[in-house]
Amino acid sequence: MMTLDNLLALSGATTLAALLLGQSRVFAWLGGLMYIGQIILLAAMNLPDVASFGFDIFGQTVGWQMDGFGRFFALITLGAALAAIAYTGGEWGDRYVQNGNSRRTLQFALALNVLAMLLLLASKDLIAFFIGWELTSWAGFMLMAQGGDRALRAALRYVPYAMGGAMAVLAGIVLAHTWAGSLDIGVLAGRLPGLANWQIATLLVLFGSGFAVKMGLLPFHLWQAPAYAEAAGAGTGFLAAISSRMGLFGLGLLLIKLLTLSRVADLSFIPGVFDAQDLVAWLAAFTIVLPTFTALKQNDARYLLAWHGIGQSGYMLLGLAMGDPIGTAGGLLHVFNHATYQAALVFSVFAVIHRTGTADLNSLGGLVTRMPLSFLAMLMGIIGLAGLPPMNGFVSKWLVYRSLMIDGHPFLFLMAVLGTLGTILSVYKLIHNTFLGQLRAEHENVKEAPWSMTIPMLALVGLGFLTGVAPGLALHYVAEAQAALGLPVMPYTMGGVQSPRGDLDMIWVVGVLFAGFGVGAILFYGFGNKSKRIHQLDNYAGGHFLSADVRYHYSDNFYAGLMHRIGPLYRSSFTWLESSIASSVDLAASLMQGWYRQVTPALVLLIAAALGLGWTIWR
Amino acid sequence: MMEILLEITVMPLIAFVIGLFMVLMMRRIAAKIQRRVGPPLLQPLYDIIKLYGKQTQNSHGLLHDIGIVMAVGGYIAAETMVPVPGMNGIADKSGLLALAYVTMIPSLGLALGVGQCANPNGSIGIARALTAMLAYDVPFVLIIFGVAYAYGSNNLVDMIAAQQAGGIATWGAVKMPLLAIAGLFSLYAMLGKQPFEIYVAPAEIATGPMVEMGGKYLGGLFVMQCFQLFTATAIYVSIFLGGGENWLTFIVKLFAVVAIPMSLAFVFPRYRTEDVLAVVWRWPVLISLAGIWLVMH
Repeated sequence: MMTLDNLLALSGATTLAALLLGQSRVFAWLGGLMYIGQIILLAAMNLPDVASFGFDIFGQTVGWQMDGFGRFFALITLGAALAAIAYTGGEWGDRYVQNGNSRRTLQFALALNVLAMLLLLASKDLIAFFIGWELTSWAGFMLMAQGGDRALRAALRYVPYAMGGAMAVLAGIVLAHTWAGSLDIGVLAGRLPGLANWQIATLLVLFGSGFAVKMGLLPFHLWQAPAYAEAAGAGTGFLAAISSRMGLFGLGLLLIKLLTLSRVADLSFIPGVFDAQDLVAWLAAFTIVLPTFTALKQNDARYLLAWHGIGQSGYMLLGLAMGDPIGTAGGLLHVFNHATYQAALVFSVFAVIHRTGTADLNSLGGLVTRMPLSFLAMLMGIIGLAGLPPMNGFVSKWLVYRSLMIDGHPFLFLMAVLGTLGTILSVYKLIHNTFLGQLRAEHENVKEAPWSMTIPMLALVGLGFLTGVAPGLALHYVAEAQAALGLPVMPYTMGGVQSPRGDLDMIWVVGVLFAGFGVGAILFYGFGNKSKRIHQLDNYAGGHFLSADVRYHYSDNFYAGLMHRIGPLYRSSFTWLESSIASSVDLAASLMQGWYRQVTPALVLLIAAALGLGWTIWR
Repeated sequence: MMEILLEITVMPLIAFVIGLFMVLMMRRIAAKIQRRVGPPLLQPLYDIIKLYGKQTQNSHGLLHDIGIVMAVGGYIAAETMVPVPGMNGIADKSGLLALAYVTMIPSLGLALGVGQCANPNGSIGIARALTAMLAYDVPFVLIIFGVAYAYGSNNLVDMIAAQQAGGIATWGAVKMPLLAIAGLFSLYAMLGKQPFEIYVAPAEIATGPMVEMGGKYLGGLFVMQCFQLFTATAIYVSIFLGGGENWLTFIVKLFAVVAIPMSLAFVFPRYRTEDVLAVVWRWPVLISLAGIWLVMH
């Protein structure tokens, strides 16, 4: 009953229903129920489960099979879809339709994304994988392109990246088949590690760059922030939570299962000092730091979060690249944790946009008294994003830090912590400029977002808190994923980790933290004189009373002193790289066109002359 | 179980009392340097009682109150993770890394409370305080890394046991002198006294985070400062000076450590924000990297 067949059939039915009924407001309920059904089917499935269907092509059997690694990602995907569809059902969806957008297309794109990801995550061989990969890319594009011209333009930037990535993956598949004689992932896992070093390196570069594009790993990250930020609210939440993690899924499969980390580590650049595994870890570390500090400079809340999404994926890859039980558990757990708080943060920002019409961090402020629930969601969300207790983000980052400490990587550890510190600065700016400080006169009558928006975000941060107190709930699925990848499983307890080199028991840590808050509250409210509440707009500065029409909210260039020091380090090198590659491709294309159509005989002559000259000199 | 509950109740109290005397010592040192008499023994306690008892207690909203609750409550929780002689609390269930992150919770609470006050000077103060945190936490985490690697554990209880096994010769400060020096430097920056008091800067941003704080709000911050002084120095003593064999040596070590930055502080003017970054990212970072290199080779 609880089979992969039924899961995929239900997912297909959801997609079809979205296409037929998606325009209706009520579909959010139906679709939500269908996603819940898929979650139940998936959670109750006995693994591994092989689909009964499949087909033969070029002598290869194409089939699907769900294992623990796929299920871990699939559960997050379905959870994110459920949260997103709840968001579309109410006022936000109505406004979206009023603005001339199609709710049907949005629902269809969402359901198609889920179906495509399930197909990808359950692929048994590389052809099924490539089908899922392409479907995921195009469904992702469809979801990114919803929500107006800016969204479409940002999504179009993704297309050349996606196509380049797909070509690289396809080339990798062809080579893998040529060298190993099979496309079945299980068979390849046995054969690929036996290949020569140069073959492993080729596969690593081809597959790796294809997956890195989807994940937004440096230097392929530029497309992601605008594409995610400009999409429609519900879509942004889903995309931010899980979409780019498909790249991480691919990388995990490649690095750990197919090529194995020990073979990757055999590819050394400087023997004994720097090998390909270090290279992956360092790419991950730079992916943590650079996008995080780019986020710090953003003035649009959506872009700020999208840049952090790229940065956080660095922790996931860094954990996986360590290859030890603690590090890989941390990296995988961070996928789940990040999905919970990042989607909540996105929803909270879109709730503010829904009520005020802007996400510009210089045009907001003081909304905490008007939108307390959205504030609460954002507060818990940023605690998770910054990786502080008691939220779940702390646990996964702690695991990654621990792994870096045990394995003795001081610089990677420093990079990981630097990312966290930068995140703390950036998210305080986010919550301060949006919810704290001076309330603008035009926002005086703003109301809390409707329940259809607040419930999903509060449910998400509630889940983030629950798995922060009891990480064992999520670590169960992480252990399953580790086992499916063939990794040693990290011993865990309900409260965290039991290791001979330092425990973490979150039940105690959080318990004591809240007991401390309790004592703090008794000390504050129980002792001393009673405090008098002053109206939010009753303020003064420099001895003058201020009225609401005077703007004194400190928001622009928030970290002026810091930027004075590190500002010159922002050089847009990657934008320069991207545009130089684009111009080179453009130049090459026009040269080819000119050559083919003979429109510029002078150019042909010039090239011939240059070659001739070069030949003469060379002689 | 009962023992742990008793310990986690007593440990914050001890920390508070020691913190009060640290504040007193800081003021006495300042008075000596400035050739004043200085405050009497119980002045810090009187100050807190006075602030709590003040008639004017202005709240700028619920979050303003919660900020103070978090600032004090977060440190009360953190004290249960700092081992003192005879009591480990939950130090072996959390470790140094978790402790470092738990101590960020009070700062976050303070930042939220200040933000709610909507005073631009307060917000500038928080922006500077977070920048200072970005500065001193870079050497601090390198030191955490170095000592955790050297002791083979992230657990303060293990670290203290390892140091007490062989007397002064096995102290962290003897085995890892460079890390200990860098640690003292970043401890100094962490305490936020001159020349690192960029976020208070009374003449510039009117005491920054404290600008809207009066009465028990300021009293809460006073309590927070006591805890902060104790926590930072107790961590230092635990990782470099062998922790406390008994209460006497523990307290002597604590006050000796806190006296060093306090004696230096009052002869300095104030850095600019960008200069704090420059100095803290240069010297303690370089020294701690050299220290890590020594530890790992």
